[in-house]
Amino acid sequence: MKSQVFIFLLLICVGRQVRSQDMAPLSFVHQKSIQFSFGSQGIGVDFNYGILPRLALSAGVNAVPLKANNIFKISGLNSTSKVSADFYNLHLMGDYTPFERLRWLRIVGGAAYFLKAKGGLDIYPSDRYTYGDLVLNPDQIGYVNLHIDWKGLAPYAGIGLSGLFPSRSFNVNFDLGTYYLSRPEADIKGTGILSGNASQSGQLQYNVKDYRWLPVLQINFNVKL
Amino acid sequence: MKRRLKPGLLIVMMLLLQTCKKPTENIKLIVDTDILKYTALIYVTDGTDGGPAPADAEIKITGTAAEDIYELSGKKDINLSAGIVTIGLAPDIVPTEDSPVKANVEISAAGYRKEIREIVFTGVQKQQIIPIPISKNGSTAPPVIAPPPTVYDQIISLNFTGRCPARQDLEIRPSVYLFFREHNIGGSFQYLGYLDKGRISTKYLLAGKTYDFQVVFGGEVYQVSQKIEQLSYDLTMDMPAACNL
Repeated sequence: MKSQVFIFLLLICVGRQVRSQDMAPLSFVHQKSIQFSFGSQGIGVDFNYGILPRLALSAGVNAVPLKANNIFKISGLNSTSKVSADFYNLHLMGDYTPFERLRWLRIVGGAAYFLKAKGGLDIYPSDRYTYGDLVLNPDQIGYVNLHIDWKGLAPYAGIGLSGLFPSRSFNVNFDLGTYYLSRPEADIKGTGILSGNASQSGQLQYNVKDYRWLPVLQINFNVKL
Repeated sequence: MKRRLKPGLLIVMMLLLQTCKKPTENIKLIVDTDILKYTALIYVTDGTDGGPAPADAEIKITGTAAEDIYELSGKKDINLSAGIVTIGLAPDIVPTEDSPVKANVEISAAGYRKEIREIVFTGVQKQQIIPIPISKNGSTAPPVIAPPPTVYDQIISLNFTGRCPARQDLEIRPSVYLFFREHNIGGSFQYLGYLDKGRISTKYLLAGKTYDFQVVFGGEVYQVSQKIEQLSYDLTMDMPAACNL
């Protein structure tokens, strides 16, 4: 259902852009807009500025502060888990419209510096735990934390659908693309009787070494300045 | 067009699946057994020949602190296995020099004199070894005590991992007292040392010889053998009694 709504919005926007392309010759020079985005990389805001007839620059920030509880379980261990993802970036993108007749299609490239790009998983024992005839409290058992960090510079490539600058005062467009993140650093920490899990940091590092593509699918709301 | 697209899509999907492993793949939950921080190894031998205690030897814990004493696996049910049991204080009990925790250990076996030892947990040392040789009724000879193991020059490091046969996602780092004997010689097991989170370094092993290693946990005896040809080994033994988390 969500994908149908997305495609419907996309068709409306592209359709409007196709109709509007006969109205005026394409030129972005000195055009300005402010863009608010929502999507797979959270929320963001950008300033768009046209520097050439078909090329505009976008500079902005994005943030994903995500937290979820109990979506990860270890069989046989009464535990609660907290999953978190924190991605904050500053980015600069070049937005090029290659075809006069397809001005709803944009090629987007650039880079972002991820001030924070980390994912974490904390596993805590639930309430009171028994060991033989002993009842242990959570402090006596400890917890396990899996941590992955992609902090650093990441190039971006993608396409945009629908124009970057509104022909009137407001428009909606879409971006599809991906960042290529730096090689992640991963480790495992443990406390209490779970402290031995730190020895598996190398395995986690190996498992996530190819987790470098951060797909972007976002809807943007642009206000002409 | 469809014929050309389908294989391409399949290849892309296969590549995506291959490039990304599940982050937790091959990662197990590793659990330490050092929940009891202050422990005492009770090692009962037959004073007649220095060998293992009689099979019917029994242990009883008495004294004011008896209710705070548990077997290493956390059970109140404390029994000897091959003359060996490890007891310890409940984890919320912390003894000090000024406030030691005391309990009595009574060993009895048919035809043998009852032996009683006082165990004192002071907090100064977390592990202690209590050898208790028992003598037959009427015997006046001093009990035979096995000589200490020979000390060699080389330090051999061993890293023990407890495997859970019914739980492939769980692994144990045993903190337990370790015994050893030369393989196929048939002698008694001797105390080798304390496995701290599975690790021990010792000078009691001679290169070129094969040894049996033994631990007692939760009333069960677990053994593994290894020929010593290098300076360190990772050894694995099934320890189902330690997997009941």
